[in-house]
Amino acid sequence: MLRTALATLALALLGWWSAAWITRDFQAWTAEGARRLAVIEQPVAVPKVALAGLGLVNADLHMWLNGAGRATIVDFVYTRCPTVCTTLGSGFQQLQHALAEETTGGVKLLSISFDPAHDNASRLQQYATQWRADPNRWAIATVPDDYQLQRLLKAFQVVVIDDGRGGYEHNAALLVLDGRGRLVRIFDDTELELALNYARSIAQREASE
Amino acid sequence: MTSLRRAVPRNATWQTAAALLLLLLMLLPPVRRTIESNMTAHMLIQYPCLMLVGAFLVKERPARWLSAAQRWNELGIAGLVGSALTLAVLMVPRVLDLALVDARVEALKLIALAASGAALRLSWERAGVVVQAFFLGNMLPMSVVVGTLYQDSAARVCNAYRLADQQTLGLALVLIAIATAALWLLQVARRRTRATDGSSER
Repeated sequence: MLRTALATLALALLGWWSAAWITRDFQAWTAEGARRLAVIEQPVAVPKVALAGLGLVNADLHMWLNGAGRATIVDFVYTRCPTVCTTLGSGFQQLQHALAEETTGGVKLLSISFDPAHDNASRLQQYATQWRADPNRWAIATVPDDYQLQRLLKAFQVVVIDDGRGGYEHNAALLVLDGRGRLVRIFDDTELELALNYARSIAQREASE
Repeated sequence: MTSLRRAVPRNATWQTAAALLLLLLMLLPPVRRTIESNMTAHMLIQYPCLMLVGAFLVKERPARWLSAAQRWNELGIAGLVGSALTLAVLMVPRVLDLALVDARVEALKLIALAASGAALRLSWERAGVVVQAFFLGNMLPMSVVVGTLYQDSAARVCNAYRLADQQTLGLALVLIAIATAALWLLQVARRRTRATDGSSER
């Protein structure tokens, strides 16, 4: 019986250890939770990608983010999206409204479409009109080059899957990027207040540095 | 040819062959991709098939090995605890996502499932009703809880799978838990009746 007890104990320890590894010390049960924890511990630099969109022609994302004292809240969307992107769209509209009272202009908004095949310039324009996006605060763009787009999605662990009805399901969230072009924090698409305050704080920090 | 004969014991029958065939089928890239593209199939087809691989594979190993292993597995306790923990860990939603993108996790998942299938087969009969009840008393409520969470969660727990898929899996987990409990109870009851019938005849 002693051997059985030892074997059971060893298996229990192995189970505990693997559970702790998989859940990042019992903090993240989903891949999304793990992604958000990982970003806090280790910011993710944007890969080299060229944006195309409203007022943007072949703009380098890193350069675009690189303005002094600036933070950007980014979301990934596709303009035909009937569900979660509507939350994101109205969320960004509220953020834009909150930012309109600011004069410093430290925080910007950027919506990136992961569906460049469909979201051409006129679709992006329609999306901007639909949400009354102010081009000075809220940029709307896509990454026309598929290789670059996939690299960006992979780096940020944005997972886009076919929803079986001609659209997509994706892990929608508010991504806060700093002025050095790094993804530093990820918030739920409903955590507007938190995302905005966090973005403001890093914009101020970077401006004072 | 001689090395092949040594690897497969003389008393080996169809089980080792079935295990290897099933393993091969599960590893076949188009099969694996198709199964893993669906959350329900990933957990409810691939998981049991890989456990079956282990269960088939273990039976025809040399008797000496098995009896040595069983010395560490009285009443099937180590085996059942090991498989319960393995299955619990493999039901964490992150595992499903990670297995799709990380080959190490996918390989460990395969080994863990085959091992727990083997452990279940070596342990189940030895365990007896009480230890079996303890095992099922942990596994089945856990499946019901996980299944209910999968059905009720408004958010997706896996980035790679659709919400509708997750709800199907949740419902299936609950139904399987109920069916397993019913079948096990039925089987216990039948054994008892048979035992009492036998004693009254004598």
